[in-house]
Amino acid sequence: MGARIYLKREDLNHTGSHKINNTLGQALLAKRMGKERLIAETGAGQHGVATATAAAVLGMKCTVYMGARDMQRQRLNVFRMRMLGAEVKEVSKGSQTLKDATNEAFRDFIQSFEYSHMLIGSAVGPHPYPMMVRDFQSVIGREVKEQFKNLEGRLPSYILACVGGGSNAIGIFYPFLKEEVKLIGVEAGGRGISPGEHCATLAKGDDGILHGALSRLLQDENGQILDTHSISAGLDYPGVGPEHAYLRESGRVSYVNVSDEEAINGFLKLSEYEGIIPALESAHAVAYAIKMAPELPTGSSLVINLSGRGDKDTEEVSRYLEERQEVL
Amino acid sequence: MSSIRKQMLHYQQEQKPALIAFIMGLLPNEDLCLDCIKALEQGGCDILELGVPFTDPLADGEMIERFHHRGTKQGLNLKRGLEFAQRVKNSCNMPLILFTYYNPLYRMGLDKFMQEARAAGIEGLIVPDLPLDEMYVLKGYGMEIIPMLAPSSTDERVQMAAQQQAAFIYCVSVRGVTGMRNLPEQEIKDYLQRVRTDTRTPLALGFGISGPQQVETFRDYANAVVVGSYLARIIEEYEALPWLLPGQMEKAFLELSKAREDQHGSI
Repeated sequence: MGARIYLKREDLNHTGSHKINNTLGQALLAKRMGKERLIAETGAGQHGVATATAAAVLGMKCTVYMGARDMQRQRLNVFRMRMLGAEVKEVSKGSQTLKDATNEAFRDFIQSFEYSHMLIGSAVGPHPYPMMVRDFQSVIGREVKEQFKNLEGRLPSYILACVGGGSNAIGIFYPFLKEEVKLIGVEAGGRGISPGEHCATLAKGDDGILHGALSRLLQDENGQILDTHSISAGLDYPGVGPEHAYLRESGRVSYVNVSDEEAINGFLKLSEYEGIIPALESAHAVAYAIKMAPELPTGSSLVINLSGRGDKDTEEVSRYLEERQEVL
Repeated sequence: MSSIRKQMLHYQQEQKPALIAFIMGLLPNEDLCLDCIKALEQGGCDILELGVPFTDPLADGEMIERFHHRGTKQGLNLKRGLEFAQRVKNSCNMPLILFTYYNPLYRMGLDKFMQEARAAGIEGLIVPDLPLDEMYVLKGYGMEIIPMLAPSSTDERVQMAAQQQAAFIYCVSVRGVTGMRNLPEQEIKDYLQRVRTDTRTPLALGFGISGPQQVETFRDYANAVVVGSYLARIIEEYEALPWLLPGQMEKAFLELSKAREDQHGSI
């Protein structure tokens, strides 16, 4: 028993994650629209780095908003963005993570939209962002289709991707929505199911409106947005792309979640077995694959979207292990 | 006719701007907030815009955002805001407009919200994160829905706001969020005149009013002036001396009231 596991290596992209697929596309559009400056929000910093890179290559100015807490846990990416010529602005309000960085980016955009483009990095925000980000990211799924056919002469049985806002997931799922392939999104279960301890929006959220879209949202009974927690800064967001909310409701995609601890385990296992260090975000999908692959029938196959590389997370992981007095 | 419309009409006939105060509900604390509101009315405030603290106040700048976050940290929310509105209504006569972001309304359910808001004596609503295109969802409940425009609004948007036939249009005076630095005076005047050519709806100017001087400057261009961050600044300055705060609020509005009078004897 057990499935063959394949990795879609988005971590090998320039800048180290799938984010570049979207930033280059949007930056080219912005340039064509005559905009001279890019604004981005970032959690883990992967989107910030990819935006800064697109800005550098196209000769545009770039400002990236990042939560103070995320700047601390993703220092490497802060340094990379600055090297690429971007201005990184620290957001020390509210949760000090992606949600408040997004608020700040919107505030900037409200006053500077005449010459700036807000380059949203996930499949969230007002129309047309969720659609546009999905279309740019769906190159991932199209490549999987083609490459998998070359390898096995058919389609995979399962595809797994982590879901925060959901850009890498919608990118790999979208070209398979009409195919006989089981699609599974993996959310961040954090430290547990109590409010404020996780970011499993699709599992625990309700309908709500944030950042210009109606989707599922982690909120209290009065419509105040809840704090979230995840070991991975890139999944640490109380909302989720509206198309994921739709796919969950229609039942086409299943959404599950794994805890911080399981994600760390996925991170370590993949590093150890394959010599590939995954981003903590992607490690959530790896962790769920480790759980489910042995249970699948012989001959089945499973593709994990390895959305990013994990160099940026090594400090955070070692801190986590030290706190638990575990030594590698 | 709602008393918001009546106030606007009254001041149009008087040819001077109505004064609207924005104050965040229940802060610094419930009783002190109520005392401040009463003092504003004494000072000449005509309409009260009561804010409901929200965790993600996208349209607000640093100053007002701080109040939102202080409020949400104390567990304040729409339900508490509505209860407070009832208290306000019981102790003053100003028409009441509720300023709230959309998610809390959506969460409560529009039918339930509108019913409770009306019962609390609220007559108008400002929902800064609901675009003009979607404003229709709030219609049909007998509530005055106040549309917003900004200097960057295109003529098409101006016409959309005009078609709402609202009690007034809230004209934001800055490119950006509340409390930001103003545009040059002439640019604001041009903007108000541009909106004016498209609509007979009264225009309220707000988002960057920093004192009596500006009320005087724009008194002939706007039908109302909204003062928010200016009051927030006074609250932050005096909240350590809470017994002095209501008096300061009254004083601020007495000065604004004076500034709206025509000091040159003609229009």
